Formats: sequence, structure tokens, C-alpha cells
Amino acid sequence: MQTNKISNLRGFWTILRKEILDNLRDRRTLTTMAVSIIVGPMLMFGFLWFAENTVKKETDLVNAKPIVLPVVGADKAPNLIAWLEQNNFEIVDPPENPEEAVKSGDERVVLEISDQYAEAFTQGTSAPLRLIHDSSVSGLEKIGFRTLQKTLLAYNSQIGAMRLMARGVNPEVVKPLQLNSSDVANPQARNAQILSMMPYLIVLFIMVGGMYLAIDTTAGEREKGSLEPLLTQPVARHTILLAKLGATIVFSALTLLLVLIGIGLAMEYAPIDMITLSIDAAKIVKTFIACLPFVFLGCAMMVLMASFTKSYKEAQSYLGMLMIVPSLPLMLLMMMSPQPSVSNMWIPSLSQGLIIIQTFKGETIDSSLIALSMAGSTLIAMLLTFIAIKLYQRERILG
Amino acid sequence: MIQANNLKKYFGAVKAVDGVSFSAENGKITGLLGPNGAGKSTTLRMLYTAFKPDSGSATIDQFDITRQAESVRASIGVLTHGAGIYERLSARENVRYFGELHGLTGAALNKRIDQLADLLEMEDFIDRRAKGFSQGQKTKVALARALVHSPRNVLLDEPTNGLDVMATRGLRKVIQRLKDEGHCVLFSSHVMQEVAALCDQIVIISGGIVAANGTPDELRASTGKDNLEDAFVSAIGSEEGLV
Ligand SMILES: Nc1ncnc2c1ncn2[C@@H]1O[C@H](COP(=O)(O)OP(=O)(O)OP(=O)(O)O)[C@@H](O)[C@H]1O
Ligand SMILES: [Mg+2]
Repeated sequence: MQTNKISNLRGFWTILRKEILDNLRDRRTLTTMAVSIIVGPMLMFGFLWFAENTVKKETDLVNAKPIVLPVVGADKAPNLIAWLEQNNFEIVDPPENPEEAVKSGDERVVLEISDQYAEAFTQGTSAPLRLIHDSSVSGLEKIGFRTLQKTLLAYNSQIGAMRLMARGVNPEVVKPLQLNSSDVANPQARNAQILSMMPYLIVLFIMVGGMYLAIDTTAGEREKGSLEPLLTQPVARHTILLAKLGATIVFSALTLLLVLIGIGLAMEYAPIDMITLSIDAAKIVKTFIACLPFVFLGCAMMVLMASFTKSYKEAQSYLGMLMIVPSLPLMLLMMMSPQPSVSNMWIPSLSQGLIIIQTFKGETIDSSLIALSMAGSTLIAMLLTFIAIKLYQRERILG
Repeated sequence: MIQANNLKKYFGAVKAVDGVSFSAENGKITGLLGPNGAGKSTTLRMLYTAFKPDSGSATIDQFDITRQAESVRASIGVLTHGAGIYERLSARENVRYFGELHGLTGAALNKRIDQLADLLEMEDFIDRRAKGFSQGQKTKVALARALVHSPRNVLLDEPTNGLDVMATRGLRKVIQRLKDEGHCVLFSSHVMQEVAALCDQIVIISGGIVAANGTPDELRASTGKDNLEDAFVSAIGSEEGLV
């Protein structure tokens, strides 16, 4: 029987198809993908839920439950006490030794009305009050103190204004500034701040999605002794390598798509009020396409690395370390939060991170900058692929 | 038709193959016989283009093994040294994969696989996933995949490794048929009886060089021994490595 050399393209498809089938039957590959749609968004939303809950607790504390406030000498200032009670404080008897009680943490704050209070108040001079608190406590525990401070200041300026008016003076005289602040950050922008960890998540799963294939199709195949028979087939070695890289890219890209869909669905249905981002299909498609060159790059990097490791185990530990590489530019992104520009959009991973953030925010990014990002990553990926092909030509590839 | 001219391959200080020349004709079965570490596998690996020779040359059907490696690979079927198969594919899928890489498809490919499964007694496990296959079952799959495209030249490194009596006989039948159809068969072995039973031509390798080369009759004549086993011992100069 006469046999023919098959074309490189046909060889490529045959190998690609086999690697995909082979790895679809691998539980590890499937687990990784399942994890990526479920755990990825869950991780993120767990964090957001926690953040939101903390804020909610804070507001609930202020709004709903009255704050218990021990007061020393409450009988000396009935008007002040009435004011505090109106403002949701529950006045209780003071502990024996207020300072000790605060120091030991039994009480968070104690108000002490001095004996001179009533006299000073009626004479129109400053009436002394003392707030006993511990400045080293933080977080929610501090709310009582802060709220009390605010309430007392409001009382202070209210009484002050009344006294001025009684003397025929416009209270605004003692208010040289009128401070109005308006927050211009739109909710989308604020959301994106919180979501600045999305690039990490996405880039991480791009790598994880291709990792098992990168190892299995190179180091794994060698370890199982099937690489040598494969290399005796009438297919060029670079075709074999490219097909294996292709299969790795397919799985990595699929994982990326699943993660994006997972995030999109979670944004839509997760019960988190703080986030009002909507990541619709168009945004998902745009992000997916913009990230594809990085998928190529990440997979080329992993295949290259796995091609010259000696065993499956070794490949696993090296590739584990390799995962850190793309997160370094993202740290830079976190720290400096630069605007997309020609000087940074060629950098792989950083530029994809910027695209992810801007796109999710709903802000547009110049299409020439997106092109620069895609071209930059593709070029580096091609270089790595070229090196991997060169490595594959060596007979040491057989181990 | 395989022709090797003064092939050499060193691994550092180890002269694995140190000038091997021989030819294996079409329609004949040629055996590479030699003790462990003689250089049989290394010679075959150069012929099937996994390794490049340090010096020397070889052709398979007029194709040069270094300059026309892909054409060489298109005209050979190989059972490699330590042949691994894909565990998550069935035996049939393993064989089909290599058939497809040689350009076979569809019904013709399936028919050929069934034929080999019959010859090599593989029916019981042909559609089972290869995970957990016994050594002999693995060897059968590897053999079937080497022969699936009915290659003009067949290179087999220790083909009877792990095979039981029935499978060995099946393999002999396959090899015999390939010979009858005019194919060139080259296989390595350190088992005397196997080589004696099948081969038209025997190349005895020892220490990386060809110690003797000829038909069984020629070997007996040149060493002055009646018995092929004695001829072998005399050729390699010791009893070491003989089975
Ligand atoms: N990749 C390699 N690196 C280093 N040394 C090698 C390599 N391959 C073979 N050798 C050495 O070359 C010599 C010949 O080995 P080869 O595998 O060709 O022997 P063989 O005749 O096939 O033996 P066996 O009957 O045991 O299979 C041995 O000494 C072996 O250790
Ligand atoms: Mg050997």
C-alpha cells in the first residue's frame, strides 16, 4: 500500500483534535474549567459581600439601635440630655470609675458633665464637658464616640446660633465658610475601583485553564513514552508543537470565556446592592477578544517552559511559579493606576488589565491602544513560540 | 529498502554506535541481533529520524534520513523503544490517530484496524480505554499503530517484548505477510531463537559495531559453527548478553 505525506494543515488538525478529545476525558482539565466558572466569581463576590456587609452593619448601628451612653452628672444638663435622647442615645447611669471602665473596654465612651456646667451655661460662657474614650480602638467600636462627637457639635452650633440671634447678630458671621461637597464619581467608576481585582482573577484563570494541557501534551507525553512514536509520524515537528499549543489555547480561551460569563451572570443575579455594574454580552465579547492575544502569550510561555522540563512533576512546579509572572505587571497597575497610553498599552497583562477595567467600567478605550495591546502580546507570544519550536527540534526533547 | 553507511552516534564518552553499515532489502526480513547496550536501539532511532547521526548516512527508499526526514517518516512504520500509548483513548482510537497522521481515513482505516486486531488477537480490548492495559496489550496496540498504514519499511525495536505465545505467532504471521508483499522488515532483538526463526538476513551488533552480517547459512559458514547460537557467541566474542 502506498502512503502519502499529509499536509501540515491536516496534520495540525488531526493532532489538535486528538489532544482536545484526550483532555476532555481528563478529569483535571474539566475540574479546572468547572472551578473557573463557579469559584472565580464566588471568590470575588464573597469579598464584595463581606465589604458590603461591613458597611451595612455600620449604618445599621447608627440608624437603628440606640447607642448606650453612660453619663456622669446627667441631672445637671436636662436640655442636653433631652437632645441626646432625641438623637437616639440611651442615657444610663455611669460606672463607678468611668476612666477605668473605658480603659478596660467595658465601656466605649462616657460623657462627664462637670459641676460648673449649669452655671457656665446660664452665664453664656463655654460650659465644660468631658468625653472619656480610647483612641486606640478602631472600626465599628468607634462609631459610638464619633456619633456622640457629631451630635454634641450640632448642639453646640445650634445653641451658639440661638445666642447670636438673641443678641441681634446673624449667625452666619461666625461661619465664614460654607462647605458643600459633591461627589462626582459615578457609581460605575466607584464600582470599578472595587473591581480592580478582576484583572488578577481573569489573568489567573487564563493561565490555569491552559496549564494542564501545556504539561500533558509535552512533558506528560514524553514521560509516558508516546512522544517518540509521535515524532516518527510524517508530520513536521513544528506542526506537532503548534497543534499542541493550539489545543492549549483552545482550553485556555474556553476557560476565559466561562469566567467572563460567570462574572457577567453573577453581576446580574448576585444580591449585592453596592455593585451596579452590568457586564453585558457585548462587554464580554469585547473583553474576550482583547484578551485572546494574552491567551496566546500565556500558553506559549507555558508550552515553552513545559517543553524543556524533565518530568510531569517538574513541569507542574515550574508552571506554578510561572503563574506569578503575569501578575507582576498587574501589581504595577494596582499601585499606579495609570491611564491607558502608548507607553503602557504594549505591556502584556498590564494592558489587558487596563482594558478589562475600562470596559467593565463602561468607559471606552481608544481602539488604536487596544490594537497596540493585541499586537504587543501577539508579537511576544510569537517569539516564545519560535523559541519553543527551536527547542522541539533538538533530540534532547526525547529526554 | 534500508541502507546504512558508517553511522556513528556518541553520547559523551559512550560510543553507542561506532560505524554501523548494513542494508536491509525489500521482501526480506533483517534482524539486528546483539546483547544489551550493543547499540541496536540507537541505530534504529537514527534510522527513524528521532536522532541525528554524528556522522555517516543512511537512506530509506532513497530518502536521506537527515535531509529528507519527513519523507523517510512517511515511508516507515515504527515500533519505538519503550512505546507509550494514550491512556485516555481506546486501543482503536490510538491506532486510528496514527493512521490519520499517515493520511488514512474512514472505512478503509477501520477495516485495516479490524484486520490488525484480528491478527494480533486484540478483539477483547480494541474498544476499551487503554488505562490499565497489560504490557503485552500495550505492545499490541503499539504494533498495530506501527503497521496500520502498511508501511513499505517496517522498523521494530524488540517487538516481542511482553507478548505471549499466541501474540508472538500472530506477530510472526504479520511480519511474514509483510515480507511476502515485498515490504522491507528490520527488527532488533536479543533473542536468538526469534531471529533464527524469522530472518533472512542477520546483522550482529556488539559494542556499537557490526560484528557479523549475513544469512544464517553464511554466518554458520564464516564462523565455522553448525549451530547459530555458537555462531553468535563466536561473532561477538563472548557469551555475554545471550538469551
Ligand atoms: N539518550 C542516551 N543518552 C546517553 N546514553 C545513551 C542514550 N541512549 C543510549 N545510550 C547508551 O548507548 C549504548 C547503546 O544503547 P542502546 O539503547 O542502543 O542499546 P541496545 O542495543 O538497544 O540495548 P538493549 O538490548 O538493552 O535494548 C548504551 O551504553 C546506552 O547506555
Ligand atoms: Mg534497545
